[in-house]
Order: sequence, then structure tokens, then C-alpha cells
Amino acid sequence: MDKKKILLVEDEKDMRYAVTIQLEANGYEVITAKDGQEALDKVYKKRPDLIILDLMLPKMDGYKVCRILKFDTRYKGIPVIMFTARVQDSDKKIGEEVGSDAYITKPFDPDVLLNKIRELLKR
Amino acid sequence: MDNAPDVIYFKDRNGRLVLVNQSHAKGLGARPEDIVGKTDFDFFPKKRAEIMAEDDMYVIKSGKPIIDKVERATRPDGIDNYVSTTKIPMRDERGKVIGLIGITRDITRRMQFDRLKKEKIRIEKKLEILETLNSLKSEFISTVSHELRTPLAIIKQLVMLVLNETTGSINKKQKEILKKTDNNIERLRNLIDELLDISRIERDKLKLHYSLVNLNDLLKDSSNFFKKLAQEKGITLSYHLPDKAINLFIDADRINQVISNLINNAIKFSEEGGGIKVEVKVLETKVRIAVVDSGIGIARTDLPQIFNKFMQVSKTFETERKGIGLGLSIAKELIERHGGEIWVESKVGVGSKFYFTVPLFYRPNKLNKQVKNKIDSLLNRGISAQFINLLIVDYKEFRKRVSIEPKRLFNDIRIIIDGVIKKACQADVRNSSIILTDIRNGRCSIILPGMTQKKATELANLFRDEMKRYFIKNKTRNAFITLGVMSYPRNMHLRKARHFPVSFSIKEIYIGSETRRFERTLYKVNIKILVPKNKTESSQTVDISKGGICFVSSRLLRTDSRIQFRLDFPKNKGSIYTEARIAWIKKMESSPGKTVNKYKVGTEFINLKNKYRKILAREVKF
Repeated sequence: MDKKKILLVEDEKDMRYAVTIQLEANGYEVITAKDGQEALDKVYKKRPDLIILDLMLPKMDGYKVCRILKFDTRYKGIPVIMFTARVQDSDKKIGEEVGSDAYITKPFDPDVLLNKIRELLKR
Repeated sequence: MDNAPDVIYFKDRNGRLVLVNQSHAKGLGARPEDIVGKTDFDFFPKKRAEIMAEDDMYVIKSGKPIIDKVERATRPDGIDNYVSTTKIPMRDERGKVIGLIGITRDITRRMQFDRLKKEKIRIEKKLEILETLNSLKSEFISTVSHELRTPLAIIKQLVMLVLNETTGSINKKQKEILKKTDNNIERLRNLIDELLDISRIERDKLKLHYSLVNLNDLLKDSSNFFKKLAQEKGITLSYHLPDKAINLFIDADRINQVISNLINNAIKFSEEGGGIKVEVKVLETKVRIAVVDSGIGIARTDLPQIFNKFMQVSKTFETERKGIGLGLSIAKELIERHGGEIWVESKVGVGSKFYFTVPLFYRPNKLNKQVKNKIDSLLNRGISAQFINLLIVDYKEFRKRVSIEPKRLFNDIRIIIDGVIKKACQADVRNSSIILTDIRNGRCSIILPGMTQKKATELANLFRDEMKRYFIKNKTRNAFITLGVMSYPRNMHLRKARHFPVSFSIKEIYIGSETRRFERTLYKVNIKILVPKNKTESSQTVDISKGGICFVSSRLLRTDSRIQFRLDFPKNKGSIYTEARIAWIKKMESSPGKTVNKYKVGTEFINLKNKYRKILAREVKF
């Protein structure tokens, strides 16, 4: 079976590094993007199986990226995990409203993330 | 002239007084006729008289007046005051200066007033600066904390990679070291979260997100985590929950935070072999949650400050158990925002009991199809709208409790809403607003196209206030009515909407009703509380019900302890003698935020005898 492709959108270089190692160690192919615009380009070009999306991003924030993808019939099937360091009270709610499939706060337990990925990819 | 309060006099060119009024004579302590012909040197100290003579000479020689010269002067009778003096030259027909008219006014009070005013302005300015500083501080804490979170999250992720052996195996010692690193990362993270909460509270930015929660589920979720943690320290942690589900209308994350904080503290301050109990008790109108430990306890002197910011007791000898004591002050804020109370009872060496209460009411939530369609069609046309949803919590129960006929109730609600819109809105909103009532499900939806969010908030509050007034007017005997407004953040996910983002926000007014197991009646009568060692204490009841009484006590009683008391009814000459259990305690406030050493205590009767029951019923007429 082919390796599943995950797009990791994260503006912090070292965080990108850490999560990439984590995902690759668990047998996923990882492509990365460091801002919202790049994220959309990568989705259109590489068609990932799942997207991990940071909320606070330069150029275009995670909400917007998510909303654009979820309103596009070609891409709305790709599961999106929202990923943020903020625990602002309303974040969770907004995350649900823009149609993300899961929501994980940083720092996260690697098992929680991996389980979520497995669950969403199974669908 | 004689009646004027000011001092008025005429002087000739040589400074001799020609004419003086009564005020001046009185001030100098002589009769007017004794003053005429004399100079200031005869009445004032030399120094002062010289200054006055100098001014006189200036006016007479130059022919120019001195107006409102303010000076400090000691009057001949020894009183120190401020005066304002005006000296005007007096001329003959040919214009030659022949003397002067002097008017001196006592302005001591005006000066004092001016000084106070200046002082007031100075203090106000200072306060303003302090307030700005305080809000800057809060904002600073918030920014810094957010900034700290990012690198900390990265450190955590990197440590986890090595610790979990994702990148290859490590030895036992290395694992131990990284585990300790991780523990301290968690500690730092908690601290940052607490600082963020405090800064949110200080900036009034903390928002609660209410939902219907089963308390038992909430506690079960946390129990696994804490049981493991307690076990590691050799402490037993047990949960005592009622069998029946307890549905609460709360912010689950926040209540969980409070419970976690209390359990964490209990574990932190317990020795190996100790025990911690989490108990839930359903009271008349609230649920009481207790976290009881057998830890080191809190000194009596520390108890009143325990919920204060930055307070940490037993600083001196407990170096192992650190923290800056933000947790409890946050807990207090969170519980009070929920409309509950939090308190503690403790004894050094015996342990601590932390209690908090949360009011009972709940609410289902879903929009109906008709409303959804209306909103969708607006949004599809690209029209922004504000939406206010009014709903009655547990409508089936509500109808049983509140005897207003549904049709009438909703008719009245409609009238109220129409009235508010008419009064507070422009014509275009009045004409385009849509009100949909759903009598069967106890809902009413108000859609306001083209309105700003701010205006909608204002409207929602007006609706609530009017509704409150309505329910007060139509008093319900056996139920509480609770009203609240909630806001949901901006854009809702609407699949059909082609244009996005369109501004759309939801507000919800919920009307909750809560039956009282026993109807409480305000009833004031003196009671005698029989405290141990055969002493008695007098107090006054606040209210009374078939199930128990509520009274004010200056003594700090203990929750769940039993007391005996005697109630004498003056009207029917009956009295009740019974035992009761203390269910809740609330520290009283003289004004918001200012507590006094008095406690409102809620009790439940234990086995109230039948004859007393009858007396009670007769007296209070339930």
C-alpha cells in the first residue's frame, strides 16, 4: 500500500521539524507549508490525504484556508486537523464552524495526534 | 455698608483710617469710633503693617488700583486666614488723589476649596495612570504568555520525540532525566495558562461557553487521570457520585479546570498513605461538589486569604510544594461567574475540605428548519443578519411549573419583542425584522437583517430585561425563573451559503425554570442555635421552607456538621426544636467584593417531627 501523504502547515520551523519526525517515524509521507498561501498551492498540486493546519499563519490564517477548502467540492473530502497554541475560548467553536474535522491544542500528546490521524484516514 | 461681610475702609493720603465698616472694626477688635484717625501700625504687627503701608503708598502715588491681591494674613484675633484685598484711589473733583478705598475679603474657604479641587484632580490623574498601568500590565502578561507558549510547545514536542523513543532507544537513566524535564515543562505550561486566565479575568475578557453537561460524565473523565497521579504518590482517591445523572448548564472545560485544580492541590498537599474524597451532593437549587483531603491543612490565619491572587500558604517550610497561588483565585472567579459559591474548611494536621456549588438549570439547543431556511435565504442573497434566539429550557417541565397558558405566554412575548424593536430601532429594521414563534417547542426566533452586532447585543439585553419584568409581574409560585443571554462568535457554518463570509451572529436568550423541592418563604424570626457545650447563640432566619431554614451566622460553621436549634413563632406561640445538617455556606458581602465576617448558612432538617411539621405549615402557610 502507498504511503499516506500528510500536509503539515506550520509557520514555526522547529515545530515543523518536530512534527515531521513524529509523522515520518510512523510511516507517513510529509509535505510542509509555512503559510496559508503555500498551503493552498500544495493542496492543489500534491493532493494530500490529510492536512494538519496551524491557525495562526502568515498571509492567510488557518480558518480561511480551511473554509476555502471545505467549500470546494474537489477538496472538501480531505480531513483537516486544526492545530493551535491558542486556547482562546472561542477557538474551538470557530474551528467547528469552518468545518474542520478535529482540533488539537499544542503542545499535544503524540499519541492523541496519531490516533486522530488514523481515525480520520480510515473514513 | 455696615452689613457687608467684607472689610471696607477709607484712608487718607497718610494712611490714616477715615471711615471703617462694622466688619473691619470687629476684625480689629475695637469700636469704629476708636479706629478713626489711627493707622494700620496701631493694630497689626510691624512687618504686616509695613507691607500694607507700602501698598497704600503705591496706590496713592501712582493713582493706579490694586485689585484682588491675595495674601496670607494673621488677623488681630490670631486666626490665620487668606484675604483678597482691593485698593482703589479716591480723587477730588480736580482728579487729585486724596486717599483710597480698601475692600478686604476673607477667602480662606475659597482657597481651601480650590486646594481640595486641585488635590482631587491630581488624585484622579494618578488613578487614571494607575488604571492604564494596570491594563498595560494585564495586556503585557497576556502577550508575553502567548509568546512563551510557542517555544514551550516546541520544546515539549522535541523532548517527547526522544522520550517516546521515536528516534531510537534511550537508556533508563536518560529516560528518567527526560521525564523530569517533561514534568517541569508541564509545570511551566500550567503557570502560563494560569497567568493567561488571570489577565483575561482582569481585562474582563474571560468568556464562558455554556452547554448541557452531565456532571457524572465530567467527573468520570477526570477520575482516570487523577487516580493514576494519586496512586504514584501512594494516595487513595475516591469518588462518591449520586446514581442519577446530574445535568448542569455550565462551561464544562472551566468547571473541569476548577475540579482539577482542587484535586491537584489535594494531591500536592497530602502525604503518602493519605486519602482524597470527591463528593457530589444535589441540594435544593444547586449541586455541591466537595474535595476532601487528609493533607497538611491550612492555618486559620491563612484561611481568609486563600482565594486571593498570588496567595500561597505555608511558604516557609513547604519548599517542595511550590506555586504562585493563582489557581484558587481563578477557581473562585470561575465559580462565581457560574453563579455558584466556593468555600473551604480546614484544620492544620487534619486536612482541608473545599466546597463549591453550581446552580441547577439546563437547556436544549437546536434551531428549527423554518428558521434555518429563512436565514439561509438571507445569507444567499448576501445580506448580513443578526439572530436572537429565545428559548425556554426544558419546555415540558416549564409548562408544568409555570401556569401561564402557552398561547398567552407567546402572545405576550411577541408583544414585548415588538415593543422593544419599535422603541429601539429605526424604521427599516422594524419593517424587515422577522419574528417566528414556535409555541409547541417553547421557542421564539428573531432575525434582524442588516443590523450591527453591537446593536443586537443591546437589543438582546433589552429583551431579557423586559422579559424579566414580565415574569416578576406574573409571579410563579413554585419555580425560579432564570434568564440569560449568550453570544456565539461570528460566522456560522451554513452549507447552502454561496457568499461567504457574511456577518452572522447568534445570541440566545434562555429562560430557565427550576422547581424548588420546597418552596422557600422569606421569614424573619429569631432562632436559638444550640452549639456544643450547652451554649446557645441567637441568630435570625433569612428564609424558611419545609425542608430546612437559612440563617445568618457570625460563627464559621462546618459543612455537613449537625446543629440543633429552636425556632419560636411569636404569632401562634408554637415552637420547633429540631436537628439540621449544614448544606452550604456563603460568606456575606457588605458591598460587592467586600466580605464581612458573617455567613449565610443553608440547612436541611433531619427527621423533623410530625407535630413540628404541622406547626411549620400553619405558621408559614406554604
